[in-house]
Amino acid sequence: MPLDPAVATGALGALSDAPATVFPWLSVSILMPIAAALLIPFIPDPGDGKTIRWYALGVALVTFLVTAGAYLNGYDPSVAGLQLIERVEWVPDLGLAWSVGADGLSMPLILLTSFITALAVLAAWPVTFKPRLFYFLILAMDGGQIAVFAVQDMLLFFLSWELELLPVYLLLAIWGAKKRQYAATKFILYTAGGSVFILLAALAMGFHGGGTPSFEYTTLAAKEFGTRFQLLAYAGLLIAFGVKLPIVPLHTWLPDAHGEATAPVHMLLAGILLKMGGYALLRFNVQLLPDAHAQFAPLLVVLGVVNIIYAALTSFAQRNLKRKIAYSSISHMGFVLIGIGSFSALGTSGAMLQMVSHGLIGASLFFLVGATYDRTHTLQLDEMGGVGQKMRKMFALWTVCSLASLALPGMSGFVSELMVFVGFATSEAYSLSFRIVMAVLAAVGVILTPIYLLSMLREIFFGKENTELASHTKLVDAEPREIYVISCLLVPIIGIGLYPRLMTDSYRASIEALVQREEASMARMIPAGRQGLIRQNPPLALIGPGVEAHQPLLVAPLLP
Amino acid sequence: MTSAAELAWLIPVLPLAGAAITGLGLISFNRTVNRLRKPVALLLISCVGAAAVLSFAVLAEQLAGAPATEVLFDWASAGSFNLQMGFRVDALGAVMLSLVTTIALLVMVYSDGYMAHDKGYVRFFTYLALFSSSMLGLVISPNLLEIYVFWELVGMCSYLLVGFWYDRDGAANAAQKAFVVNRVGDFGLLLGILGLFWATGSFGFEEIGSRLADAVAGGSLSNGAAVLLCLLVFMGPMAKSAQFPLHVWLPDAMEGPTPISALIHAATMVAAGVFLVARLQPVYAPFPQVQLVIAVVGTITCFLGASIALTQMDLKKGLAYSTVSQLGYMMLAMGCGAPVAGMFHLVTHAFFKAMLFLGSGSVIHAMEEVVGHEPVLAQDMRLMGGLRQFMPVTAITFLIGCVAISGIPPLAGFWSKDEILGQAFNSYPVLWVVGFLTAGMTAFYMFRLYFLTFEGEFRGNDAAVQAQLLKDAGKVAPGSDGEGDGASHGHHASHPHESGWQMALPLAVLAVPSALIGLLGTPWHSRFAGLLDPQEAAEMAEHFSWAEFLPLAGASVAISITGITIAVLAYSLHKLDLASLVAARFPSLNAFLANKWYLDDLNDKLFVQGSRKLARQVLEVDAKVVDGVVNLTGLLTLGSGEGLKYFETGRAQFYALIVFGGVIALVVLFSSF
Repeated sequence: MPLDPAVATGALGALSDAPATVFPWLSVSILMPIAAALLIPFIPDPGDGKTIRWYALGVALVTFLVTAGAYLNGYDPSVAGLQLIERVEWVPDLGLAWSVGADGLSMPLILLTSFITALAVLAAWPVTFKPRLFYFLILAMDGGQIAVFAVQDMLLFFLSWELELLPVYLLLAIWGAKKRQYAATKFILYTAGGSVFILLAALAMGFHGGGTPSFEYTTLAAKEFGTRFQLLAYAGLLIAFGVKLPIVPLHTWLPDAHGEATAPVHMLLAGILLKMGGYALLRFNVQLLPDAHAQFAPLLVVLGVVNIIYAALTSFAQRNLKRKIAYSSISHMGFVLIGIGSFSALGTSGAMLQMVSHGLIGASLFFLVGATYDRTHTLQLDEMGGVGQKMRKMFALWTVCSLASLALPGMSGFVSELMVFVGFATSEAYSLSFRIVMAVLAAVGVILTPIYLLSMLREIFFGKENTELASHTKLVDAEPREIYVISCLLVPIIGIGLYPRLMTDSYRASIEALVQREEASMARMIPAGRQGLIRQNPPLALIGPGVEAHQPLLVAPLLP
Repeated sequence: MTSAAELAWLIPVLPLAGAAITGLGLISFNRTVNRLRKPVALLLISCVGAAAVLSFAVLAEQLAGAPATEVLFDWASAGSFNLQMGFRVDALGAVMLSLVTTIALLVMVYSDGYMAHDKGYVRFFTYLALFSSSMLGLVISPNLLEIYVFWELVGMCSYLLVGFWYDRDGAANAAQKAFVVNRVGDFGLLLGILGLFWATGSFGFEEIGSRLADAVAGGSLSNGAAVLLCLLVFMGPMAKSAQFPLHVWLPDAMEGPTPISALIHAATMVAAGVFLVARLQPVYAPFPQVQLVIAVVGTITCFLGASIALTQMDLKKGLAYSTVSQLGYMMLAMGCGAPVAGMFHLVTHAFFKAMLFLGSGSVIHAMEEVVGHEPVLAQDMRLMGGLRQFMPVTAITFLIGCVAISGIPPLAGFWSKDEILGQAFNSYPVLWVVGFLTAGMTAFYMFRLYFLTFEGEFRGNDAAVQAQLLKDAGKVAPGSDGEGDGASHGHHASHPHESGWQMALPLAVLAVPSALIGLLGTPWHSRFAGLLDPQEAAEMAEHFSWAEFLPLAGASVAISITGITIAVLAYSLHKLDLASLVAARFPSLNAFLANKWYLDDLNDKLFVQGSRKLARQVLEVDAKVVDGVVNLTGLLTLGSGEGLKYFETGRAQFYALIVFGGVIALVVLFSSF
């Protein structure tokens, strides 16, 4: 079946149609923090790192303002295609170009990155060990991470993906806790092992079909890959991104890395790094390899459910606070997988929102873990208890953030999980029985999440004061800086929770175009009349019974 | 002129605004705000007061015959697909609005006295306002989705308030239990909502109802599936309204401050489940199987609650099980297809049970003067007795409450309970028998509570009983190790005193509706039914006949009086020694009741220990198997890595080189496709 060209290019849009922006917003937001980081060695500093941290905070804030400026000035949420495009030929023979741009998939995450990084710098205030190197790495990471979301060329993507590893490795290995070397090595081996597949897939896709190799997303999207090729590339990329997201059983680097990282690094790991996996799944696996996605999507849903339940259980059994929260991150990323595999605009939109939401909530929880550790000097739940007596404000902040994490309505986590649930439950890509089983299992997470989060709160804060702990540590209540950081995170968390369109409208058009592309592939790949346990049987009888009464809602693609 | 209904959104928003202001104040300027006790209380009370005024304006409009109003906006959307939020004002909602704001207001006034010496006074008022806001939001929700939102929010407020005294282990456990058990119900509610949405494409009550019935009639949805969806949704009300077997959290929730027990765990939040079932009547009505399940669950709950209440020695727990039992009556009414009767009992029960709880709070507050701030002592009836002479207002209002709940005409409980029993008699005679017997048990245990607490001699200073109680609870008596004993008791008064006006006034105010509100729902001219369902009211009045009413009503009154008589004989005149007569002869029955049907133990063994064990095993697998494979791979490659590292100075370059080499080889392979 020939491809409809409009659908084939889908959300990528045509390069030539979009007007070039005057100010290179994205290049500036990528390169400025990196350039500023390179200047750090030349900054006069008395040695205590105070000047440098103000400098780093300033740079991070300016970067945030630049990305916000990009969003407000150069970005039109109603356009599905690529915007803010900047393109400079780099190595023409290789087809390599400095090509950046943003659509609905990237823009929210770019904003999230610069926002969380700025807060992480503020969270890093107590770090005094090797401040120059520390802030250098943080700022380099800022630029690198924005690049991951903004570049529009698969080789560039690979480069920035790799560039990301080094700062994280060093931040883990130098500022980590006791087992930092082990954790850092494990992290880099895992991620590097995974990214082999990215490079493989990039090269294979770039050279596919002969001619001048090109790695730009637009060119790749227009290529017609064979089904077998798509499946192979998809599987490889799934492993690479599955490590990052992470997908069980590729997750074991995460508890170690998170368990050893310091609070600000922690915030970056949970807030941004995990989102790279989800973003890349949407960008490559769904957008570039839609035919394979149509085949693979049920697997994503199953893996998502496994993530939710498995990680929730391990989190419940964990006695180490950091590892507990780390596993809870894995559990929450399961909803991203289900959303991506849901074949519905609402579900995919929910996956996107879950990434942003978890970025905010995860960062807030990890920040609180760090702040608590600074006071208790232990992460073992058995050694805490009754801490709430002295640290009342801390208790309040913890309670709010935990409630956000267990998807309390009025906060962003609820909306995203609800969108995933509704999107998946009404999806037409799957049979009724598959949807029921998966929805029921995923909903078990609704019970498990409060169990481990509230148990954790109870063990840290409730009850009589632990005299042993109180005797040798000073339990000071939250200071204004800490309250400020959490408040900054809570504003968007609650804002999105009360009125989700604040966020969803910013990427709605892109997601809708993406899902249209998915559905076109689905129609091609899964022939009508094919019956199975997982796939929807197309005859109307088995689609929702109310279909006749409100046909447009369920049958039409959920998009205008 | 704008109608009150158009401003109804302000009703939940006002308390929310108040709570937000004080909450932010608490976080930012903790000490200052904590010192501003009276201003904060005044601010929040006036917020709820304003909401109450608006609610009554809305109710007045509905009484005057205003039509139902619904306002919606797009909340979340993707494509043509919208999730809507908004508010809806109709007769049912207006009744609940007035009820919730009235009781919330009275409880807040009461709390000013009850929490006067608590460090967390301001925090308590903030939570109260937050709860009021969530509960009012729930009441005006126009669709299932929004109900779910506020459903969770009231659950959160309940969690925060049950765990209010967070230094107590009991409170910590109870708060968590309340939230988790409710989440079990929400699990079903969420799936049910999703399923109904899939089946009907709507979250609205009427639309779901009509489309679901159409779908079943048209054959596109099997009857079984529709029933299943309805029952899944019913899991939510089962947890929230403490229906068997998800009632286990409610008695534990009594660890919270008593005003909370009155407001949340007696009058409003636990009634939300009943309210939701009433809202869902258009959905449930066409399915007799669903109705039957609801009625049976209600009846079991009603019997279970009353039977456990028979042996409780803790005043608040006794009232809590009584609440469980009464909620069972309301569910029974819903199951009989008589939502008006159920809602009527909800309203009357809210008034007299709130009063009873506030009365028990007054007692506990007074007992704390004598035995100290130890819930094990202050709430145990073995240490009470004879309190009527010290606190007459509390005693009289409590007695009114007991008479009302026992179903003695013309007090409120008689009319509402009798209507439920009448409906049950017509629909399910077997269930009527159980409900009828439970009515007798209710009268007995309520008067048992009254006599043990307010009549006889005061036993509060009995040190031996105190020591025994503490020992049973596994707690060490304060200062019991030696010389501190006498000194610690020296601070306490020798007998309790009546509470201040802030606490006595709400009791007195609540006594009025507890006594009289039932007269609005007399079966021959029910104004209440006339408001909610004029058609049914007309039918009721038309079909009313004294010949049918008197035998049933007479039987109810007779069994209540029997219950009261036994209580009088046993606990006032001491003519009847129940301990030797019943408890000694049937020790297993007594143990069965005293251990709350062993449901808590079962829960603990099966679910709490089970889930912990499962979680530990999964973690073990994670650490040993999944991570083990990874580390093993690492170990195996370490050998080769050790050898290779001399070739390269750094890992990164080394790895890049290998990758690049490998890639070149594989590209050739790949591009052959």
